[in-house]
Amino acid sequence: MATKAYDKSFREEVYQNVDSGEDVKLCMQCGVCGITCPLRGEMTHGPRQLWSLIRAGKRDEVMNSPDIMLCTSCYSCKVRCPRGVKVIDVMHGLAHYALEQGIVPRKETSKFGKAFWDSIYKTGRVDETEVPMRYTLMAGPIHGIFNMLEMMDIGRALLAHKRMKFKIGPGLPPSKKIKGMKGLKKMLDKAKAMSPGKEG
Amino acid sequence: MGQSILVVGGGMSGVSAALEAAEAGYDVVLVEKNPYLGGRVAQLHQYFPKLCPPYCGLEINFKRIKSNPRIKLYTMSEVTGIEGEPGNYKVTINQMPRYVNERCTVCGKCGEAVEATIPNAFDYGLGEIKAAYLPHELAYPYRYVIDPSIVETEDGAKAKEACPYDAVVLDDAPKETIEEAGAIVWAAGWSPYDASKVEYYNFNSSPDIITNVQMERLAAAGGPTGGKIVKLSNGEAPKKVAFIQCAGSRDVNHLPFCSTICCLASLKQATYVREQLKDAEVTIYFIDIRAMDRNEDFYTKVKADEKISFVKSKIGLIEPGENGMLVLEGENTTTGERFKAEHDLVVLATGMQPNTDLSKIPADMVYDEYGFVQNAEGIFGAGTVRRPGEVHVSVQDGTSAALKAIQVVAGR
Ligand SMILES: Cc1cc2nc3c(=O)[nH]c(=O)nc-3n(C[C@H](O)[C@H](O)[C@H](O)COP(=O)(O)OP(=O)(O)OC[C@H]3O[C@@H](n4cnc5c(N)ncnc54)[C@H](O)[C@@H]3O)c2cc1C
Ligand code: SF4
Ligand code: SF4
Ligand code: SF4
Ligand code: SF4
Repeated sequence: MATKAYDKSFREEVYQNVDSGEDVKLCMQCGVCGITCPLRGEMTHGPRQLWSLIRAGKRDEVMNSPDIMLCTSCYSCKVRCPRGVKVIDVMHGLAHYALEQGIVPRKETSKFGKAFWDSIYKTGRVDETEVPMRYTLMAGPIHGIFNMLEMMDIGRALLAHKRMKFKIGPGLPPSKKIKGMKGLKKMLDKAKAMSPGKEG
Repeated sequence: MGQSILVVGGGMSGVSAALEAAEAGYDVVLVEKNPYLGGRVAQLHQYFPKLCPPYCGLEINFKRIKSNPRIKLYTMSEVTGIEGEPGNYKVTINQMPRYVNERCTVCGKCGEAVEATIPNAFDYGLGEIKAAYLPHELAYPYRYVIDPSIVETEDGAKAKEACPYDAVVLDDAPKETIEEAGAIVWAAGWSPYDASKVEYYNFNSSPDIITNVQMERLAAAGGPTGGKIVKLSNGEAPKKVAFIQCAGSRDVNHLPFCSTICCLASLKQATYVREQLKDAEVTIYFIDIRAMDRNEDFYTKVKADEKISFVKSKIGLIEPGENGMLVLEGENTTTGERFKAEHDLVVLATGMQPNTDLSKIPADMVYDEYGFVQNAEGIFGAGTVRRPGEVHVSVQDGTSAALKAIQVVAGR
């Protein structure tokens, strides 16, 4: 009976094209990164399993793993990894690589990024009311309202502690633009031209 | 054959080097920091893989030392200076006072008389002993020691008064001696890696998290519990024992190398638990089990015990939980499952840090990135200062260092 050999092409691709991709070779599969991660409850694979999938040539699973976009760069895993694997760099490298190929492993992160971007592009500011509003409304008006209602307690607390301004909707009332908006836009346009993803 | 060989460290490596050289007809000066010989092996309950008491072998060696007039022994001593070149060294030896002379018969009266206690170093800090003490039951030299902390106190006077043999010498003082030697063997051994440095294991958060060296003392008849394996929090027998492999080993943040013996030590200690506690369950959490050559059979034998299970996972967190249990978190890398497991006794299998990493040889020597020493022309490392390993490897290494030393002094 013939057994299918591991597809080596994907891991070679990762070693060559992904930031710090060669670090995957250092991993000894101990499992500490997965347990150290504060998002361990949310992650489908966690870093260790991703490295294992890379070595096994499982391109689709890796490129579509939401985990590579979930990582918040908290550094916990990197600090503890006994082999000194630059876990965060590889996670972000993989996300970047996926976006470059038009794959969006985690729509939410990508949408949040877009809301973030839109806010900066309009006003030069990251508006702490505007960004979540735009983000939740991306799910469509009805879903958006429900999403917002779910977040109401947090919103109220943030208002009470003066961590957020009150708004009725995105741009109502509009946020003040920063000075030098033109220069910033130029920079952002250039960055966009360099960036790989379709969704910004 | 005018020149002698100086051996530093009286553990299995140093004792082997000293005996081989002396029995080949060379004069030997043996310098040991502790008040007794035997090194860390004297603190083990049993040897893997045969599970025999290490004292059989040690006692034979002590007899050989005792009957060999060529060996001059310094205990409680350290080498503080080395001058000269191969074939012609002047070595400064600093000896700390013992406050007890050779008239001591180990009658124990001084120990009874004093009140002060000190942490029991022989038991790795588990429990206390009187400040006038015999380091352990089978100590060689077989003689009491008085701790410097009581010498100038009332307790010191009480000890002197209690001694029927006039063996207590309260005005004993540090002595500096210079010995001449043609070659030096450095066999200063290892220290257990400090478990509290692995902060996510919260070593100091519970008395039921212990290290593997402490487990040896817990199982030993001469240990703090008389050989009973118990939870130190309440004295009860544990029901679910965990061993955490590579605790601070194979880790770029701690000891980057594999100590080669701690997997075997845990396998051995699992048998201590199973021998005493018929209902206890043991789980060994590992990255991979390293049991080389003849030791593989031992691994196979331990694996056959259905109450000993193996989980492939480096533990990422240990925290005190409810009802005195300890909660371990890890990722089972065989199944991919992230788990929490409760245990009531946790043993951290810490590795061996070479003492040459902690304190350097007072001579121009080359060390590798981990602090293991490399041989120089007239100064040779032996045993665990050269590489981590088990006893029989240390004995072989001591013998080979003796031969190298003999080659330097022979014919001079
Ligand atoms: C938990 C555990 C269990 C183990 N169980 C086993 C087992 O069952 N079987 C087995 O084969 N191996 C076992 N080992 C390994 C074993 O302990 C070592 O192989 C052995 O101790 C090595 O002997 P050594 O002489 O090189 O070092 P050591 O035993 O450390 O002896 C070194 C000696 O040098 C002295 N010294 C240190 N510094 C100085 C100085 N500056 N000047 C003078 N003297 C100094 C020390 O006091 C000590 O007496 C175990 C290890 C661990 C951690
Ligand atoms: S902690 Fe490091 S060595 Fe361990 S599984 Fe994660 S990446 Fe690999
Ligand atoms: S850096 Fe990313 S993967 Fe690592 S622990 Fe933090 S969130 Fe998890
Ligand atoms: S020092 Fe004296 S009292 Fe103490 S044990 Fe030795 S002989 Fe006995
Ligand atoms: S012997 Fe085992 S526990 Fe010790 S460092 Fe090596 S693999 Fe880890």
